[in-house]
Amino acid sequence: MNEPILQVNDLHYYYNDNQAALNGISVSIYPGERIAVIGSNGAGKSTFFLNINGVLSPEHGEIFYHGTKITKKSLPELRKNIGIVFQDADNQIIASSVKAEISFGPMNLKLPREEVSRRVNMAMEYMNITEYGDRPPHYLSGGEKKRVAIADIIAMEPDVIIFDEPTAALDPLNAVMLEEVLEKLSAEQKTLLISTHDVDFAYRWAERVLVFCDGQIIADGTPLSVFQNDEVVKKASLTRPVMLDVYEELVRNGLLADAGVYPRDMREFRELIGK
Amino acid sequence: MSHEHTARSHTGRHHHHKGGHRHDTGGSSIDFYACHSRIRHWNPGFRVGFSIILLLFCILANHPAVSCVIILTAAWITVGMGGLSFRRYFSVLTIPITFILLGSAAVAVDFSRQPIGDFHLYLFWGYLYLTYESLLNTLFLILKVFGAVSAMFIMTLSTPSHELFSVLRKARCPSLIVELMHMIYRYIFILMEVQRNMRISAESRLGFGDFKTSCYSFGQIASNLFIIALKKANAYYDAMEARCYDGTFAFLEEEHQANPKHLIAAGIYLTALMSFWLAIR
Repeated sequence: MNEPILQVNDLHYYYNDNQAALNGISVSIYPGERIAVIGSNGAGKSTFFLNINGVLSPEHGEIFYHGTKITKKSLPELRKNIGIVFQDADNQIIASSVKAEISFGPMNLKLPREEVSRRVNMAMEYMNITEYGDRPPHYLSGGEKKRVAIADIIAMEPDVIIFDEPTAALDPLNAVMLEEVLEKLSAEQKTLLISTHDVDFAYRWAERVLVFCDGQIIADGTPLSVFQNDEVVKKASLTRPVMLDVYEELVRNGLLADAGVYPRDMREFRELIGK
Repeated sequence: MSHEHTARSHTGRHHHHKGGHRHDTGGSSIDFYACHSRIRHWNPGFRVGFSIILLLFCILANHPAVSCVIILTAAWITVGMGGLSFRRYFSVLTIPITFILLGSAAVAVDFSRQPIGDFHLYLFWGYLYLTYESLLNTLFLILKVFGAVSAMFIMTLSTPSHELFSVLRKARCPSLIVELMHMIYRYIFILMEVQRNMRISAESRLGFGDFKTSCYSFGQIASNLFIIALKKANAYYDAMEARCYDGTFAFLEEEHQANPKHLIAAGIYLTALMSFWLAIR
């Protein structure tokens, strides 16, 4: 495989002196990967994200971006190229109009005015919020705020985009919109990391799953291998994806031949039973 | 969802302004009207400048007829051109009207040991009295203040805060102050939202049943709000850092070119007002 875009070696982080929030995280992330990060509340997912974005600095451990070790000096480089869409859009939106808000990141990158303006318009079109440009954020609905929060990061054009529980607090329609955006970003070869509690989403969307438990990564592999590993599922208090259960149940009862082709969503499932 | 509640309560106010929602009129509704004004596309600097010039002129001219003209034209600009309904314009004006009337009552009424003046009222330590002259002066004062307030409302009811901040920044206001204004403005709405949610949840648990529990709930909400403010400040800072914040607040600002037609119209209007004042002085 090619060179990792981001490499983390033995990362430790403590919130208070006694309890480790991250306890020896090592992982390599390759360009264009679609990674779902799962694990119960307080397992260290958000802390991990803030560490690889350079907002929090680890007690101990190394981060490499494109093979270069991140030091205090190269920290801005890390923040420039890795964007986080925070879970609560209200904790992210700071400006008093949508356009100004989206321009905050590009302005901090010290880009020329025309470039900032181009990126803001591009990001608003991308998220389909051009018509809200002049509105103050407090007159937007929850779904609209989420779009603004995503546009914030798209305008910075990072290589890696992290979504911290993006599906939480979204209605079904906005959740579909979010998946379309993720699909589009994937097609553009962006590296995506998404933390989620929605195992069905992780199962159908991700090509790699990281399972966090008590500040450690206890499993790292394809969704199928992770969710078939009962020990991991139990230890991280996960549930199995419905699609996986249904498929295995059908095979066990002899209703379906075991061809080893696991359907990930309804479309694939229909194709499978249609055959 | 809580955010949708905000949006709904604002649109709800359209239909039954006199009805419920008494708890958050004032500031937030002015902000809402400003965002929906039809004269928003005018150059913000022009709008702010025009209303300040009009305000100063109203005070300097110090003439009741000039004040009346300004009251009428300001109402016409905000209601007629800005598209705000007259009823809402009036309900916004009632806030300063209350203060104006209370304040000017103190100017009109004087105090004396002797029963003098055109009207007087005996209170056991002396007399409160009014004269026709003081009444007339008070009326003129009310008109002047009312004219100045209407002039200011041209700006207030058509300029959302972010436009005002950018005008202030261009007018060389210290960036520390402008940045603080940005953050405070955004924060007001977040804290209001949090406070409302806590209040509603306290109410649903009978937290405002009688006076004693009301006091207790209010205190709990206030102290909780303080803790939440601190937590949110941390979360905010993290999110800003993640977007390469380096100590300076910078946003892209729209450049609305001032329309020459507006400048000419404003020039003609101010000249006409000036000559009217000179003629009747």
